[in-house]
Amino acid sequence: MKLLKLLAHLFVLHETNNQKAKVLHPSGLTLIAGFLIVFQLFLNVGSKAFPRVLGYAANISPSEVIRLTNVQRTANGLSPLNENGSLNGAAIAKGNDMLAKDYWAHFSPDGTSPWNFFLNFGYRYRYAGENLARDFGDATSAVNAWMNSPTHRDNILNPNYREIGIGVVEGDLAGVDTTIIVQFFGTPVNSEPISVVKAEEQPKGTAVPKPKATPLPATPTPTPVPQVAAVTPVPLPTPSIASFKFVSPFNSTKNLSMGVVGVLLLVLSVDLIVVRRRRIARIGGRTLAHIAFFGMILAVILILKAGQII
Amino acid sequence: MKQFAKDLPHYMLLGGILLAGFAGLVLFSYDIKFQAAVAIATAVSYTTWGIVHHYIHRDLHPEVIVEYAAVSLLGLVILFSLILR
Repeated sequence: MKLLKLLAHLFVLHETNNQKAKVLHPSGLTLIAGFLIVFQLFLNVGSKAFPRVLGYAANISPSEVIRLTNVQRTANGLSPLNENGSLNGAAIAKGNDMLAKDYWAHFSPDGTSPWNFFLNFGYRYRYAGENLARDFGDATSAVNAWMNSPTHRDNILNPNYREIGIGVVEGDLAGVDTTIIVQFFGTPVNSEPISVVKAEEQPKGTAVPKPKATPLPATPTPTPVPQVAAVTPVPLPTPSIASFKFVSPFNSTKNLSMGVVGVLLLVLSVDLIVVRRRRIARIGGRTLAHIAFFGMILAVILILKAGQII
Repeated sequence: MKQFAKDLPHYMLLGGILLAGFAGLVLFSYDIKFQAAVAIATAVSYTTWGIVHHYIHRDLHPEVIVEYAAVSLLGLVILFSLILR
């Protein structure tokens, strides 16, 4: 009986809560916000304490990323990219470097550029580019996210590129188990000039275009390709792919948020109907406006996906 | 219902604010900083809308401002927990 009274006090307008469900009072709303913040802190601490439990599991095949990339290129009238073993190795090395040095960026904290990995694997480039993705559950979602971003899309649909390498690595990044996809694009320096290169990009009086890289997105112009001594081919490590289930921090947050907003929308709807029927006069915000606001939040929660790209 | 019809311009403005916020959060899902800025702008705009709406209706009280601020804060916390993951 006491429990029922408590639930009525919390979720239904009543004389005990001044004709407004307690969860809709500013104190109730702030308490819920505080609870969500504590939950986030728990997830952050929990992911460090239980690194094999909280994280992002994925089963992403590098060949599938290449296939989907080429589907996009051919759909846009471009030639498909050829998979290159050196670029694959460089991409995997870049992914492992991000995990080892714990960064999520094109450039490492010590200033190492993506192009260093190209050169370390003996890939001397005329053009080069990089796309990064993390926390996606499948290759399709990652490629779709890149295609929805103008700068990443430009990379995928860049006619200057001829080859591609993919690295899929899994490990601890900032305390959370993460799957990173590194997508490297390149055109070898010894390849024939590409007919689609604009005339102004070609140095006058030279038959071979000047080495140039087009790093996207938002990466500085790389230095011209240095002469690299012969590099011993490095065997490509097998991409580490998660084979066990995680509790995804994003999905946990998403489900909890959906539950909280769903309950609030229900309570607000009941409040709207009862207040109008009983013609209750009270000082407070517009219930309809609150329903619209939380409705927008719920729509965003339903649409947002876990992955990130840079 | 009569009151809602009378306030229709107010609610249309609110709809525009929320629609712009929704579009910004969904269309720029690749830019976390922009998403965070959109979330803050939407929450602040919602509180401002509430204050102006009640001021026009001459029923603006401190409790009303606190209520809109609390609703906005909760919305912001939910959005941030998903954006800044």
